[in-house]
Amino acid sequence: MIQVKDLTKDYGPRRAIDKLNFSISKGDVVGFLGPNGAGKSTTMKIITGFMAPSHGNASVAGFDVFENPLEVKKRIGYLPEIPPVYADMYVQDYLRYVAALKQVPKEKIEGSVKNAIEKTNLGDVQKRLIHHLSKGFKQRVGIAQAIVSDPEVLILDEPTVGLDPKQVAEIRELIKSLKGQHTIILSTHILPEVEATCEKVIIINKGRIVAEDSIQNLSTMEQGQIRLHVRLRKSVEDMQNVLSGMGSVIGVHSGASAKEWSIDLKGSEEAVENVSSLLVGKGYGLLELTPAKRDLEDVFLKLTYGQQEKGGPA
Amino acid sequence: MSGTLVIFKKELKGFYFNSTFWMICFLVSVVFSWVYPIQLNLFSQLLMNYVMQQGVPQNQLNIHYGVFLRQLSYLNLLLIFVVPALTMKLFAEEKKLRTFDLLLTSPVTSFQIVMGKYLAALGAVGGIVLLALLYPLATSTLATVNWGPLFIAFLGIFLVGGVYAAMNLFASSLTENSIVAYVASVIFNVSIWFVGIGTEVVDGERARKIFEHVSLSSHLSGLVEGTVRTNGLIFFLSIIVLFCFLAERVVESSRWR
Ligand SMILES: Nc1ncnc2c1ncn2[C@@H]1O[C@H](COP(=O)(O)OP(=O)(O)OP(=O)(O)O)[C@@H](O)[C@H]1O
Ligand SMILES: [Mg+2]
Repeated sequence: MIQVKDLTKDYGPRRAIDKLNFSISKGDVVGFLGPNGAGKSTTMKIITGFMAPSHGNASVAGFDVFENPLEVKKRIGYLPEIPPVYADMYVQDYLRYVAALKQVPKEKIEGSVKNAIEKTNLGDVQKRLIHHLSKGFKQRVGIAQAIVSDPEVLILDEPTVGLDPKQVAEIRELIKSLKGQHTIILSTHILPEVEATCEKVIIINKGRIVAEDSIQNLSTMEQGQIRLHVRLRKSVEDMQNVLSGMGSVIGVHSGASAKEWSIDLKGSEEAVENVSSLLVGKGYGLLELTPAKRDLEDVFLKLTYGQQEKGGPA
Repeated sequence: MSGTLVIFKKELKGFYFNSTFWMICFLVSVVFSWVYPIQLNLFSQLLMNYVMQQGVPQNQLNIHYGVFLRQLSYLNLLLIFVVPALTMKLFAEEKKLRTFDLLLTSPVTSFQIVMGKYLAALGAVGGIVLLALLYPLATSTLATVNWGPLFIAFLGIFLVGGVYAAMNLFASSLTENSIVAYVASVIFNVSIWFVGIGTEVVDGERARKIFEHVSLSSHLSGLVEGTVRTNGLIFFLSIIVLFCFLAERVVESSRWR
């Protein structure tokens, strides 16, 4: 559905994205993940035809974004970083306008607007001036605007920014419910969002793709590692020192206080047993010991920041 | 073409449901309600003088010259400052509030965007010209009015408004700041009249001809006198097309930042 080849964008001398290559098939929900300034929004702007790439090309549904922009734009619903809403319009009128702009046939406009309002829970404010809405509601109007034309491809740049937790959950549900009929790309820094909604992640850092895989594969990337969360009754000043004798320990991080630690281990259950017996033996008062799988967050941090920060959270 | 229509409707509604437009209409009617009776009064005194002294040039005795043309020059002056106020936001505001993203990612061409906005601006200018036309219409209950030349004269001022709208739309497309767009627009509108002054300051016969040809005032005066000349119409249309084209180029170029 979406094909990106050698996509490069230079803002003057600054290279925002550098030779991106990926393809997304119909019905996929893909998360764009990356720290600030990674180039997520830039990539999305190029795919939507908002701006031209410096090199390389992108195509949507077989149409080149650059050579056939109108065909591409007909198929895309786009939520930019700042929702493109007119403050002096009423929610309903605005959505009607967007639907007309996206060439929804006249007789279907009312239905599409109603549908979009329902899906984004805007029923209560549909007759209000956008100017008077709160930030979260404006964001929802932005999402409604993207889905109002029932596009084949949805491109959402940080769709849940500024929403309350309940709404975040609802938008995630919405995105899940759209999967299958729509191809969706969403960008975010929030990992649970990707885990909750996407099947595939593309992690971008400094304009380059550092990982592209299914969530499943990424989170089990480094097998044979175990992370232990421990909670003790007594505080320990230097856990690193305490555990220094054990070869299987590869990392120690302090938690909220000197009584909570997470410990990264290499090896199998035996290593866990050794650590627990050591802590008990020293009389620290072991209250809790929970093994945690390395989650996406770690993978993300390792892939993006880990390269620069010495030691890092890895 | 449907894209043009959608944008046209939205922008026209934007004008007519906005207080700015009505404030401008209010301003225009205040100015005319004040100036127009004075003109009318002067004219009636002139007529009286004529009856008594016979010393007044013939052409001043026409209500067309005596009242309507003066009103038109006031209207022109108003339009120089009022059209920029209407058009300043058309692109600048969209860019600033990032709603431009929506337009640029919708299946409409830059040409359609510019046309939709330009036609809407014309609709607003037309409203103001019609408002001004009400005064001569009201006068027609008191005096006999020659309708043909009157309408042609108002068509002329409408075309001048169209030229302003095109230039000012272009000015708005250049910036994100509405105030900058306004100031640039006024400068455009004023300076186009200075081209006309060239006819008076230039010496050579040929240079004068050229200036005459590109001056707004010489083409407007033809219309204002009630005669439609094709080269005049072509002149107005070509300026309008030129600036709409430039605005289209600017919109298109925003994809290339
Ligand atoms: N209009 C612009 N002019 C110059 N540089 C820009 C422009 N837009 C973005 N950049 C630069 O391009 C790089 C990528 O920006 P982009 O907005 O794509 O990042 P992002 O991944 O969306 O970040 P965020 O998570 O903060 O939204 C950044 O270094 C940014 O400074
Ligand atoms: Mg971004």
